[in-house]
Amino acid sequence: MANTVIGSSIVIDGEISGDEDLVIQGTVKGKISLRESLFVEGSGVVEADIETQNVEIAGRVTGNIQASDKVELKADCRVVGDVKAPRILIADGASFKGNVDMDVKER
Amino acid sequence: MAAKDLVASGNTVIGPSILINGKLTGDEDLTVRGRVEGELSLTKTLIVEPSGVVKANVTVKNAVVSGVVVGNIQATESVELTQEGRMVGDIRAPRVIIVDGASFRGRVDMGELPPGRSLPERSTPRPQLRPAVRSLPPPPPRPGVAAARPGGAAAAAAAKKPGGMPGIVRTEATRTPPPAPPAPPVVAAGAKKKVVLKKKK
Repeated sequence: MANTVIGSSIVIDGEISGDEDLVIQGTVKGKISLRESLFVEGSGVVEADIETQNVEIAGRVTGNIQASDKVELKADCRVVGDVKAPRILIADGASFKGNVDMDVKER
Repeated sequence: MAAKDLVASGNTVIGPSILINGKLTGDEDLTVRGRVEGELSLTKTLIVEPSGVVKANVTVKNAVVSGVVVGNIQATESVELTQEGRMVGDIRAPRVIIVDGASFRGRVDMGELPPGRSLPERSTPRPQLRPAVRSLPPPPPRPGVAAARPGGAAAAAAAKKPGGMPGIVRTEATRTPPPAPPAPPVVAAGAKKKVVLKKKK
């Protein structure tokens, strides 16, 4: 039950940080840093730099994304910004503009 | 309480390990179990649960505080500090509920008292008191009272003085002077309320 949800009519302008999963259905501007997973749902709008372990995006994200594990861009998402993570998945139907960095250093 | 919480915890929840720093606005209920700092404005209900900490200026319709709030709360309907609630700041709302066990430091402003509720309470005891009072023998301070009686301006001037005795002079100026014993507390209370109203305007 340690689950944080930002509802669809909520607008946050500022910084969010924490150690638990975060579901965004509303609007967040600023900065997000989590040690768990971030879910941007279809109605979610994020204009922020994101630092997490996992990200799943079905909504709109503008900003740079850095994940320690995985970034998943689902169908119908719209992402503008640079993505940096060891694992990056881009589904068919996703729209994305930016750099991808999978940090391939030990090869 | 429990039913209210269930209804209100519908949509947005700020979990216990989450810190939000900035401005938060919305049109739905918000439950805070973590920390929110900055500014918070909702058109619905804010619930600060026991683990929740809000350091913000809050504008909402209803607020239920079971956690910690540092900052001012302005609510269009009600603010409730529950038993576990801790708050430092000013509350401005037509309905303010502070439950036994809550801790609070700050000002409370419930706005203008609704005339429908307060006026009957104030006006009924007076007519009952006055006739009874009139039949009693006049008290010593009567000459001063009589002097104030003819001039309406003098009576008005006397009314502005905050002291208890001038208050008596004012209210009774239009009628017969009363003896001191039963009247002063009620009349003085009326005078005090009047003074408060003038200050607000």
